[in-house]
Amino acid sequence: MTTESKRVEDVVKTEVPPLALPPTTYGPIAATTHVEAAMGERILDVRNFSVDYGWGENAVRAVDDVDLHLDRSKVLGIAGESGSGKSTLVYAITRLLRAPGVIKGGEARFNLGTDDDVEHVIDLVNASERELRSVRWSSISIVLQSALSALNPVVRVGSQFEEVLKAHRKDMSKHQRRARAKELLAMVGLDEDRLDRFPHELSGGQRQRIMIALALTLDPQLVIMDEPTTALDVVTQREIIGELFELRAQFGFAMIFITHDLSLLTELADEIVVMYAGALVERATARELYETPRHPYTLGLLKSFPPMHGERSELSGIPGSPPDLAHLPTGCRFHPRCPYAMERCTNESPPLVEIKGTDRSVACWLQVGDVGVAVPVELSRVSSSGNAPSGSFKEVTP
Amino acid sequence: MTDATTTPVQLEARHLTRNFSVRTPGRIRNARHIVRAVDDVSLDLIAGQVVAVVGESGSGKSVLARMLARIIKPTSGDLVLQGTTIPIKTKRTLAYASQVQLVLQDPFASMNPVHRMSHNLLRPLRIHGASKADAPGLAEAALRRVSLEPPSRFLESYPHELSGGQLQRVSIARALCIEPKVLLADEPISMLDVSVRLGVLNLLRGLCDDDRLAILYITHDIASARYIADSIIVMYAGQVVEQSRGTSLVDEPTHPYTQLLIASVPDPSDPTRDVPPTGEHTQIAVAQKGCRFNPRCPHVMDRCRIDEPPSFIVGENHTSKCWLYADHEVGVEVALSTRRREGETATT
Repeated sequence: MTTESKRVEDVVKTEVPPLALPPTTYGPIAATTHVEAAMGERILDVRNFSVDYGWGENAVRAVDDVDLHLDRSKVLGIAGESGSGKSTLVYAITRLLRAPGVIKGGEARFNLGTDDDVEHVIDLVNASERELRSVRWSSISIVLQSALSALNPVVRVGSQFEEVLKAHRKDMSKHQRRARAKELLAMVGLDEDRLDRFPHELSGGQRQRIMIALALTLDPQLVIMDEPTTALDVVTQREIIGELFELRAQFGFAMIFITHDLSLLTELADEIVVMYAGALVERATARELYETPRHPYTLGLLKSFPPMHGERSELSGIPGSPPDLAHLPTGCRFHPRCPYAMERCTNESPPLVEIKGTDRSVACWLQVGDVGVAVPVELSRVSSSGNAPSGSFKEVTP
Repeated sequence: MTDATTTPVQLEARHLTRNFSVRTPGRIRNARHIVRAVDDVSLDLIAGQVVAVVGESGSGKSVLARMLARIIKPTSGDLVLQGTTIPIKTKRTLAYASQVQLVLQDPFASMNPVHRMSHNLLRPLRIHGASKADAPGLAEAALRRVSLEPPSRFLESYPHELSGGQLQRVSIARALCIEPKVLLADEPISMLDVSVRLGVLNLLRGLCDDDRLAILYITHDIASARYIADSIIVMYAGQVVEQSRGTSLVDEPTHPYTQLLIASVPDPSDPTRDVPPTGEHTQIAVAQKGCRFNPRCPHVMDRCRIDEPPSFIVGENHTSKCWLYADHEVGVEVALSTRRREGETATT
């Protein structure tokens, strides 16, 4: 266990003026590197993560045994409906969750980068407030859904940038801070005169751009986007996402993108995880998930978006409504709404397991390769091969 | 029901306009300017048809719905309910409300949280003249119409005990229990979970087909409009910029704004499509000259900055308010041609 101070270099960026890095103190965390496997390109590794709301008998499990990982400069999409635990999960990982939310178990390791061949990894679950403060905003930043309530309504936009820089870049002069704020606004396509405005004087799209600029102020390695465009109309959404990806190409930050809009995620994420009632039900690359969904819930979600092309035909969506987390159904949590539910689904909860021969996972009894279980054709399509004749079922060879 | 077969048009809006006077941003005190939230919008709501109004926030679509429900008084224009012109400057009457009902976006906010559903449902029934003995039966029937079974369970529950999708169904039932002819649905699915949205859309479509309701469906989601509607109207900055019967507006959009709107919808089946350059919508005052879309339009011409374009006929029952189609005939409103067609089928 070493307790000496470490200076952590941010990943060197072009375009950005060299900012003097604050002397950041990490406690004994660097030592964990030697004990566990090196994270390498992996920036975030979450294992067996569980979160409850409340204590004792009344506790409600909002996130149940979730595994996640994200590589540097990649985009991970988390899809799910309201109440699926997607926001709770990231708030808990970043330790922003307040009581009655409690982390009940699991680990979340964040890789701060390699310095002199020593990997700096912080264990977010056990980190002290002091350690967290040095990571927040400068290494992990977050963009919240409602920009109007996330921005301080009585403080001009410019001062909100100032505040961040004052706290994290103590050696910057007032002039430098102002220059940095102007530069950030230019990055998201806003005029610098917006710095002197109050949040209510800006449109929804402008406010969300300010939120993104604020999140990028300290050049983070990971940006978490919690439904950043849900309150905006599609045209503004398209524009903001376009800008966001230009910035990502320039600065190379990794991103976790949370939304209920699976078609949007398919366009922008490298990998997608689908959450239902607090648990992961499917993980795959964006393209695979869209073209060849394996979980009935994913399929149902994909079919819940009316198409923009082709003949109009009646779509069914998913019958019923999401379960109450305090009274989860037995067995698979999706079985009461699942058109393919079998007897086993009502008794046993399926684990999230890797599908043989692929690097994708699914939590469904249909996909475990049992002999005699017929997998419906829509859940066993082969990638990009078009539609197999409908109505036929094919046997899965174990 | 006899009304529906003899006069298919239930509610007509003629040249509805609503101005709001707002304070000019800046330091000058008491400087005000007029914002034309809805500008000369005409539409027909026909029994057994869904008319969808699509537009971004600030396009005036909700103000339009509230004018049709007579919650907001129009600055000018006419409302014709089942052939009778309504004096727009007077207060809404009970008789009008019994024919035209509004369903709002947020089902959690539109139910009284301290009362059971039975209160929320029985109150409109009693106000509209149902006897104390009949009202519970009518409320149960209304809940069955929106597929909430068993109705007694839902009548007993409080709003916080129901999910968003169930509450939205209750608020549709509340609107339906007094047997209106017109249902105005203002973004009824945008607050709901993705997996239950289609259920509510299918419910609306079913009410329209089976009960011959006239439905106005307001949305910002053009894909859902294409899914449910018989005709689609696209609004931009208070004006109708494009409208069509059927889905031709989505399949072959002609107005640059509609093209932008459609290209912006996430569509994983076509990730390589071109998205035209955009620009953010700003509030548009009366003073702006020419086409309201001209500051954002990729095809802007000199003419667009001077004259406001009329609606040109660009296809069968399809008009577009854009100078690009200046060589086309200036359009009779599509709504009117729709009515003619409906009238013809009704007589045969």
